[in-house]
Amino acid sequence: MVARSTRSLLPYILITPPIILVFGLIFFPAAQSFVRTLTGVDGSFSFERYLEFMNDRSSVTSLIFTFQVTFLSLIGLFAICYPLALYLRFSNSRVAYWAQMVALLPLFVPGIMSAYALIRFFRGRGLLETIIYQLSPVLSETYYSPYVKPEGIIIGSIWESIPFTVLVLLAGLRQVESGLIESAQDVGASRWTIFFQIILPLTRRAALIAFCLNFIAIFGSYTIPYLLGPAAPQTLGVLMQRTYQEYAQPLQAETQAVITFAVCALVGLLYVRTVSSQRTGRN
Amino acid sequence: MSTLSLKQLRKQFGDVTAVHEINLEVGDGEFLCILGPSGCGKSTALRMIAGFEEPTSGDILIDGQSVVTMAANHRPTAMVFQKYTLWPHMKVYDNIAFGLKLRGLARTEIDRKVNEALELVGLPDYGKRMPNQLSGGEQQRIALARALVLEPKILLLDEPFSNLDALLRVRLREELRRIQRRVKITAIFVTHDQEEALSLADRIAVMSKGRVEQLDVPSRIYDQPATLFVADFIGVMNLIPAQQNGATIDLGALRLESPTRVNGTVTVAIRPEDIAIVGESDVDAWGGEVEQIIDLGHYRKLLVKVPSVGTLKVYAPKALDLRENQLIGLNPSRFTIFRDGAAPIEVKREAVAPLEMSVAV
Ligand SMILES: Nc1ncnc2c1ncn2[C@@H]1O[C@H](COP(=O)(O)OP(=O)(O)O)[C@@H](O)[C@H]1O
Ligand SMILES: [Mg+2]
Repeated sequence: MVARSTRSLLPYILITPPIILVFGLIFFPAAQSFVRTLTGVDGSFSFERYLEFMNDRSSVTSLIFTFQVTFLSLIGLFAICYPLALYLRFSNSRVAYWAQMVALLPLFVPGIMSAYALIRFFRGRGLLETIIYQLSPVLSETYYSPYVKPEGIIIGSIWESIPFTVLVLLAGLRQVESGLIESAQDVGASRWTIFFQIILPLTRRAALIAFCLNFIAIFGSYTIPYLLGPAAPQTLGVLMQRTYQEYAQPLQAETQAVITFAVCALVGLLYVRTVSSQRTGRN
Repeated sequence: MSTLSLKQLRKQFGDVTAVHEINLEVGDGEFLCILGPSGCGKSTALRMIAGFEEPTSGDILIDGQSVVTMAANHRPTAMVFQKYTLWPHMKVYDNIAFGLKLRGLARTEIDRKVNEALELVGLPDYGKRMPNQLSGGEQQRIALARALVLEPKILLLDEPFSNLDALLRVRLREELRRIQRRVKITAIFVTHDQEEALSLADRIAVMSKGRVEQLDVPSRIYDQPATLFVADFIGVMNLIPAQQNGATIDLGALRLESPTRVNGTVTVAIRPEDIAIVGESDVDAWGGEVEQIIDLGHYRKLLVKVPSVGTLKVYAPKALDLRENQLIGLNPSRFTIFRDGAAPIEVKREAVAPLEMSVAV
C-alpha cells in the first residue's frame, strides 16, 4: 500500500521543483514587472509607460529595427537551411555526412566565441578581406565589411541558428517517407511538383517550429547584436541593456522587456498551437 | 493491350548483386506473381520496371518499346506500395486526382474518373475523407484506385497486402483479381507469401538470390518444381539426402528405382500427400514411429520417424485412428530426384492400397 501510494505520488514530487523554479524565478517576477509597467506615477492603472515608449523615437526605431533584423535573418536562415536539409535528407554520399557534421559545428561553439570569430573574419582588414586582397587587390577595394552594420547582426544570427534549424528541418524531412515521394513520381510528378505539393506541405510543421523558435531566439538576442551590430539603430536586446545600465532607467528598460516578451509570447503561442496540432492531428 | 519483357535485367548495389540477368515475358492482361523469400531481389526487379532503380545492365520493354532511359514519372506503369502509400495531407479524392491534374485533364473529366475509380474499388463515398481516417485495407484500395485511374499499361504491386491481417488479405486478394480481370490490365504482383501467389497468379516466377528459379503456372510450380529451392520453398516437402547407385536409390527399407543411371549424391523430394499410410508390417513400406500429431482442422499432419531416412511429414485423414508412438508403414507413391547440375526426375511408383479406415493398426 505504502509503496503504491508513493509511486503514484512520485511524478508529482518530481515535477514540483521545476514548477516552483519556473513560477518563482520566471512567472512571478514577470507578472510583477507586467503589473508595474501598467502602473502610473500616482500608483493607479495607466498606460503611460507604454505611451512613453511609443512617443520615444529611439525606442520605436529600435522595435522596428529588431523586427527587420529578425525577419531578414529568418529569410536568410531558411534560404540556407532548407536546401541544406533537403540535400542531407536525399543524398547518400559521404559528402552529405561531412556536410552534416560541419552544419552542426556552431552548436558546439559558445555564442561569444563565434561572434568574435566572425568579427575577425569579416571586419575591415580581417581574414576575408585579406583573402580577397591576395586574389585581387582591386576587388578588395570594394570590400564592404558587415561588421558594426545591421548585416553583421543578420550574418551572426544566421550563423548561430543554422545547426538548430537544420536539425529541425531534417527531422521534418525524415518523416516524409520515400514511398510518398516515389508514389508522386510514379503518377507523373516532376521534381518541382513533388517539392511544392508533397515535401513542402508535409514539412510545414517542422518549418513553423523552426520559424517560431528562431524568431524568439533572434528577436530577444543580446550578444550578437551587441558585438556585431551598429551603435544605432540598436535592437531591443541592446537597447534594454543600455537603458538599464548606461542610462540608468530601470523602469523604461522594464517596459522594453515586457514589449519584447509580448512579441515573443505571441510567436510562442503560434509554436504551441503548431506542436499541439501535430499531436492531435494526423497519425 | 500491353506486354512486358525483361531482357538480361541485372542490378548491382556495390558488391551485392540484387538481381542477376532476369529474362521474363509477361503477356497482355496476364497476372504474374514474383514470389520469393525476403531479400531475393523481388522489389528491386519491380522497382526497375517502375523506374525507381536504374538497371546495371539489360533492357525493359513495354509493348516492344524500351523504357530504360525513361524517367519514372514518364513510364506507363503504376505502382501500389506496401506502406506509406497515400499522401497524408490530401483528401482521398485529391490523392486519386493528383496524377490526373498533372495531366491537365478538365475538372469534369477528373471528377468522373475519380468517382469511377472509387466505385471500382468499392469505396464510392470516401472521396472527402483524409487518409488517416481509413483502415489499412481501405488505404490500400485507394492506393489501387490511384494507380488504376491513370490507366497505366502495367500495374505493379509490391506486397500491397502484407501489412494487413490474414482474413482481410484474402478478401482483398480476391477483389484485386476481380478488378484486374475487369479492367484487363497486365499486372505484376510481388509477394513472399506462396499461398497468395498460388491463388492469384496466372503464372509465378519463383525467385531466389536474384535469380528466377522457375517460371510457370501455379499447378506446375507445385507439382513439378524445377529446382530443389522451388521444391523446398513451395508447399510442404520432405527432402531426403540419399546415394544413387546406377538406377537405384536405397533408402531405408525401400529400394527406389530411377529411370536414369547415375552414381552420386541426390536429394529425394516427396510431398506429404504422396505418402500413403499402410500397415506396419507391409513389406513395400518404410516402417516408422509417429512422433507427433498436429491437428490442422479437417486433416492431421504427422511427423513420423523412419530409421535411416529421417523424420517425414505425412497427412492423415481424421478418421484414421492414430496415437503418438504408434508404429505405422509409409509408402511413397511419387517422388522427384534432384541432382546438382541435372534436370529433376519425377518418378511414380505403383499405387498401393492405403490403410483402410476400419483396420485397426
Ligand atoms: N538501395 C539499396 N542499396 C543497397 N542494397 C540494396 C538496396 N536495395 C536493395 N538492396 C539489397 O538487394 C537485395 C534485394 O533486395 P530487395 O529487392 O528489396 O528484396 P526483396 O524485395 O525480395 O525482399 C537485398 O540484399 C538488399 O539488401
Ligand atoms: Mg521487398
